[in-house]
Formats: sequence, structure tokens, C-alpha cells
Amino acid sequence: MFCSVLSAAISGTEILPVSVEVDVSTGMPGLTMVGFVSSQVREAQERVRTAIRNLGLSLPPRRITINLSPGDIRKDGTRFDLPIAAAVLEAMGAIPKHVFSDTLLLGELHLDGTTGEVPGVLPGVICARDMGCRLCIVPSGNLVEALAVQGIRSVGIRSLQDLIAVSRGEIPVQPSVPGSLPGEQGVSGGADFSDIHGQKTVKRAAQIAAAGFHNLLLSGPPGSGKSMTARRIPTIMPPLTPEESLEISKIYSIVGLLPEGTALLHTRPFRAPHHTITPASLLGGGTSPRPGEITLAHRGVLFLDELPEMNPATLEMLRQPLEDRRITISRTGGTCTFPASFILVGAMNPCPCGWYPNRNRCTCSPKQIMSYRSRISQALLDRMDLRCEVPATEYGALTGGKQDEVSSEILREGVIRAAEAQKDRYEGLPFIFNSELGPSDIPRFCQLTGEASRLMEAAFHRFLMSARSYHHTLKTARTIADIEGASLICEAHISEALCYRSTDPDIEFSVQAGVADRQDADNAEKRRGYRKKSYAKKKEKMKS
Amino acid sequence: MKLSDEEEFERRLRSENDMSVLSEIRLIRKGDDGYPPCFLNYPRMPGSIYVLGRLPDPSVKTVAIVGARNCTSYGRNQAEYFGRTFAQHGIQVISGMAYGIDSWGQKGALDGGGKVWSVLGTGVDVCYPRQNYPLYRRIIREGGGIISEYPPGTLPDAWHFPIRNRIISALSDVVLVVEARLKSGSLITADYAMEQGKSIYAVPGRNGDTTSEGCNRLIAQGAGIAWAPEAILEELGFDCSEACAARFEAAETEQKKPSGQRKKKKNTVTSPEADLLPEPVIADDGHRSAAGRKLPGKWAHCDDFQKLYRHLSDTPKTLDTLQEESGLDLPSLTSVVMQLCISGYAAEAAPGFYVKIPG
Repeated sequence: MFCSVLSAAISGTEILPVSVEVDVSTGMPGLTMVGFVSSQVREAQERVRTAIRNLGLSLPPRRITINLSPGDIRKDGTRFDLPIAAAVLEAMGAIPKHVFSDTLLLGELHLDGTTGEVPGVLPGVICARDMGCRLCIVPSGNLVEALAVQGIRSVGIRSLQDLIAVSRGEIPVQPSVPGSLPGEQGVSGGADFSDIHGQKTVKRAAQIAAAGFHNLLLSGPPGSGKSMTARRIPTIMPPLTPEESLEISKIYSIVGLLPEGTALLHTRPFRAPHHTITPASLLGGGTSPRPGEITLAHRGVLFLDELPEMNPATLEMLRQPLEDRRITISRTGGTCTFPASFILVGAMNPCPCGWYPNRNRCTCSPKQIMSYRSRISQALLDRMDLRCEVPATEYGALTGGKQDEVSSEILREGVIRAAEAQKDRYEGLPFIFNSELGPSDIPRFCQLTGEASRLMEAAFHRFLMSARSYHHTLKTARTIADIEGASLICEAHISEALCYRSTDPDIEFSVQAGVADRQDADNAEKRRGYRKKSYAKKKEKMKS
Repeated sequence: MKLSDEEEFERRLRSENDMSVLSEIRLIRKGDDGYPPCFLNYPRMPGSIYVLGRLPDPSVKTVAIVGARNCTSYGRNQAEYFGRTFAQHGIQVISGMAYGIDSWGQKGALDGGGKVWSVLGTGVDVCYPRQNYPLYRRIIREGGGIISEYPPGTLPDAWHFPIRNRIISALSDVVLVVEARLKSGSLITADYAMEQGKSIYAVPGRNGDTTSEGCNRLIAQGAGIAWAPEAILEELGFDCSEACAARFEAAETEQKKPSGQRKKKKNTVTSPEADLLPEPVIADDGHRSAAGRKLPGKWAHCDDFQKLYRHLSDTPKTLDTLQEESGLDLPSLTSVVMQLCISGYAAEAAPGFYVKIPG
């Protein structure tokens, strides 16, 4: 006797439909399971067998074969317990035939027949809806998640008894709950930018970063408020759109990080892994790839404190995802592409002791400072659109009232203005934020006034900018113009953007000397000739 | 490695105009043609030196710029400014090519179109510190040279460096110490210079700045005060009356202007403690008249530029500080700062900290 029900497997952040087939036939009594299953799934047979026995039913003394199809996708986790039990019960005749066609089942079983929560319910239900299913059966603990999906009915069951009751139509099926999509941006834990005293430039940089999704590097002495600033960036970011909320909630559901009792995330993620993080946990990895921190920070903030303390090799791996805004990971278990569009906020001390450039307090040698800074490559620095100095706070600012400080609310106004401008401008285009513009889009969207382009040209030569620096400066200037509500990029916007691409003269020294070396080799003779002439003139003057 | 004598070298350089001869190391012994005549006057000078590139011209005035490796932006800017000014007057600049003051002084001189020499504590073919390789190449290419008493291939050793300082001071007419702590290698150079009877100048610093204590002490001991490059130029026999007069004139006109503004500033100060603190505006004015640099005509009458430029000084300041002091709003502040940076009137001393560039 054959029967099959529908379930879903997770591959990376994708959901793949899996049909659970059970055949009860004559032969040596026993239970076999096939279909590229992991040992977690294989253990399901023991749970299912016991749970059914504890239901008061006994498995028929016949040969039971379970197949999870398609057989070439690896199946992991405990979410197949419930569909296997349902298929077995149906094949046994305990459940009416074909009652679970067009139904997706997900869930873990305990030995007593009660259900346990599983990750990945939200994307699973979405997948079911898209396949045209009419019902989803999930553990009662996951019901909130399932109900968040519009256009499909879901039912939560507490145990196998409930499953049988559902099959007989004894438990009412609930439609999805409309209006559970994000509206107002929740503020995380009451943190606000007004908690930070002074630091106007830093707050401004944070505002620009949040408005255009630009990467931000905060550098300053210990205790100056770098981490505080980073933690408050999510409070001023533009509110999540319903699509974005669904996108990140799916990822969080799959990795099992959705807070209990919530279906959709309403706040932008803020991830702050420790600096000892491994490449696999930062970028994603494992035999069957799992998303890493950069994917968990998708549409939010990835905060890396003590940037130079990180393993340089790990840090440099961020380069490609920062550019592409997604990451492709190939392992034996398959190849997965994870989204990774996040704001990278880095924090660092300017030198090992933290007090450079205050030479009266800094005890580091130039070599120490250089080697400390060179732990972050120029390539990565180039990708940090905003590099901002967080100076030690002065006493006067600390004792001032909180009401004088720039608050998150004020900053958010500018951010929302910029977000709306970007939304209008990029309507129908594959990007949302200025930082996502490619070099070919820049001439179209970043138009400069005459004065601004003259300034940009002068700056390009003066600061020996790379093509990437040039493009990133323009993108930052575009965001500043959006915050100010300007359609064209003016001189002030360019110069402000340039201010956030600071350079260190000591580090740049050799670079400058090198370029000068090339350029000046030709001019040196000329200049020397000129100098001799003017000197001769002076001498004549002196004589007369 | 080819060793050829001075005459042969000069001839080839002139006839072939071949840059490859610049990478040849020459050994010059006592009694050879090129052996610096000044070495004969002092005790304990090396019997032979290795040279990459040329040797300094003994008939041209020469200044040594030495100082701390661990320098501040003030020292860095001063070294560059002095180096550049010397080069513009045709003076040769000698230094040790260490980090900090040495290399900034040499860079300034090269930018001013001058010839520069480095006396190393390693073999002439060993660039130490390695980060200065671009500078090392540029020194040779632009008509200067690298000098060492150690044979090619000698690696850096701590005791080499203080000893090579006697060559630096012997080759120069004036030794300028830009920034030095109380215990500093630059003071060893000054000691050698004293022994050899050279004039010593020191760039003064503020009391309390540990990086300038050595310089200030040198001044107390009788070194000349390098208040401006003209002080040394006059010592070397250049006529600087015009430049000095221009400085005084600039200082006078500046002094007339800010008096009104200073009053205004006082009125805006609201907190009572502010009066007890030393007023930063005055200190900055002091720096300005010392640096004696005026904004060019196109900005001289622009209010924003004047406001900000008054508050820029040798002390690195963040945008926050500048904003508070000048009262400009962030967009106009950044646009003024950037334009000053691009045109070389200001610079970033360290990321996010801005200083005024003397010139």
C-alpha cells in the first residue's frame, strides 16, 4: 500500500519541496529509509515508530519502505518526523486516504507523540503557497510563523492525536493573520543617539551610512564611544519594507534565530561577532553550507569591533561580498548563494596604545603604528566609504544635558528623506541604496554641478585617489545630497564626502614619495633650471 | 658591484647621460679626488666612504635636518617647510633618512627641487627603513646621493646609527634639529656638530610637549632659534631682509584685524569657566604670525575661510573642534577644509585631524 505527503528540505537559504513516500508491503517485517538522508533524519524512524506505538496503534508486521524524493538532495534535521508519521499512518489506514494531498507537513516528534518546533517554517509555508498547496500542518509552537504567510491556511498541532483529528476535520483550520507585517520601526532596547555626548561629526557619518548603506570605519582612542555609535545605527536606519522583512525573516527562520513567538522581524539586524570569528562562521560554511554572520546581517549592520585584532585573512575575505552583496559558497554538500547586503561598521584604535596622534600620550613607534594599521589592507579601506575619527570626549560635552544632543529622531528624519529620494530614483531598478550603484550607473545618477566636478578633479589629483575611491566618493556625495534634499551634487556634498575618506600622511608617505618619484623625475630638471635662474636674479639684485 | 673613481664617474655621467651609473657604488678613500675635504678637519672621520649617486658639492651651502622618528604633525610640517625653503635657495640638505623628521625634511627639499643626501647606518645598497625606498630612489635620481661608511650589504645595527651622525654634521654647515625628546639621537648629532664647531639651530616647541623638550634645551644651551627658515638663511649669508619685512608686514595687518573679532569671540563665550582657561584664539594667532602665511586673494575676503583659517593651527584638530571654535555649520566647514587641503594650506595630520601648513 503506497502513499505520499509533501514536506520541504532546506538547502542553504532555499527551500526545496520533498515528497515523503511510504510503502507498506509484504516481506520481512522492518522499516527502511532511503533518499540521501542524514543520520538526524534516519533517527526519525525510531521516533516515529515509538510515537505511533504510544498513540495506541501498532505498526503492521510488514515491510515498510520510506523514501524522501528527490533522492539527490541531502535532507537534514528533524523536520521530516511529522510527514513520515503522517504518511505511515495513512498507509496503515489510520488516516483517510488522500486527505493530506495539497498539504505541506513539517515538524519534529517526541516519543510520546507530541510535536516539537523546527526551524525554517516561514520559508517552508511560503514555498507551499507558491506550489499551490491549500494547507500547512506545523507544530503548534511554529503556528505564529506559519500564519504570517498570506494566501494559505495553516494549522498547528500539539501531538499526533491532533493530526488524526485534523484529518477528520475536527480541528478548525486558521487562515493567515493579515496585518502582521512591519509598520513602525521598533527601537532596540531604548538606545538612542542622544546617549552619546558631543561627537557631531560621528553622528553625521552614522546618518550618512544609514541613509545610503555605506560602510563606516570608526577609529579613535579607547572609550570614546565607537561601539556605542555602532549599536545605535539600526535605530536610525530606514524602516524595513515588507519585502525586506520577509527576506530577512526567512533567513532567520532557517537558521532558527527567529525570536520565540514572532513571525517577522521588524527591526533591522545588528550582528556583532567577536573578533576571533572564523571564516566559516563569518561568511557561511559547513559541509552543507549554512549562512554566516554576513548573511545574518543582511539588510542590517555587521559590526566588527577591534578590526585590526581580527585575523587579517578572515577580514580580507569580506572584500568580495562587500562588492557583490552576496556570497557563493561551494562545499561537498552543494553550492549555495547567500544574500549579504549589509553595512559594515568597523571600529579600531588608531594605534596599539590607542592615543595616536596625541604624541604626548601615545607610546607607539612609527613602525608599530604602521604595522597595526597595515593589518587592514588598502583594498578593504577603499571599500569603507566613511572613515570617521571618534575623538576622546571632552569634559564639557559629558556634563552637558542630554536634551542638547542630536537624537536618533532628528537623524532619522534625514535618513528617511534620503531613503524616499532613493526609492523614487531607483524605481524599477535592481537596487535600493546609493551604495549599490555600479560604476556604469554613476554618471546617470550622480550628476555634479560644474563647481563640484572641478573640486572632484582637484581632489582626485591631490589625494592620489583610485578609481574605486572616486566612485565611492561620488556615491557618498549622492547620499549626502539626498539627505539635504538636493537633486544635483554640489561642492559642499563632495567636500563633505571627501572629509570622510581621510588619509594618514605617515602611511601615505611612501606612496606619495613614490608617485612624486614618477611624476617629478621628468620635472626635476626643469625645476632645477628655474630655481637656478631665480637664484641668479636674486644674486644680481643683491649686488646692485 | 663596480668600483670606479670619482673623475671617471663624473666623466661617464656627463658623456653618456646614463642613469645606470647612478646605481653603481663607489668607494672613495682618503686622498682620492672626491673625498670630502671637510673630513680632514675633524677627528675620527672614516678613512673611506661608499657612495651611491653623487657626493655633496663642498662649495655649496649645506644644512642637515635631523629630528625625532616619532614626530608630531607640527614637526613634520616644519621639517617639510624648512627643507623646501632651503631647496628653493639652492641649499643642499643632508639627513639620515630615518622615519619622521629626517624623511619629511628630505621630502620637502626634494619637492622644492633641491638636492638631498642621506647618510645611512647600513650599507648604501640597504634601504633602511624599507618603507622609505621610494624616497631613497628619488634622492639618487634627482641628483643627490646615499653615503655610508659601512660596506655594501651591511644590515642595520643599533650602534651604527649614532656614529653615522658625525658624518651628517661634518658634511653640513648648519645642523637644524626640528623635534627631539630629552634623550634623542638628534642630540648626538648636535653634540658632534658642537665638537666640529658647526652652528646648531633648533625649532622651538611649546613647554609640555615632550617631543620638543630636547630642542628647547638645545636653545637654552645656546643653539640658534629656528623661528623661520630666514634665521638660518641669514646665517648662511643669504639676504632675507625682504622676506623678513614681508613677514612683519603680514603680522601687523593680521594683528589689526582680529582684535575686533577677538572681542566678539569673548562675548559669545557663555560658561564662566571659559575665562579661566587659556584662550586658544591668542595662541593660534601666535602660530599664525610665526608661520606668516596669508590666504590667497580669492579667499582672503571670504568670511568662512577667514573664520576657519584663524582656528587652524599646528595642533591637530578634529572637525568637531573646528566646528565648535569657528561656529560654521558642517557642510560649509567641510567645504572650506577640503578646499584648503586641496590647495595645500591645510592638511590632515592624522586621519580626521587637520593642521595648518606653513609656507
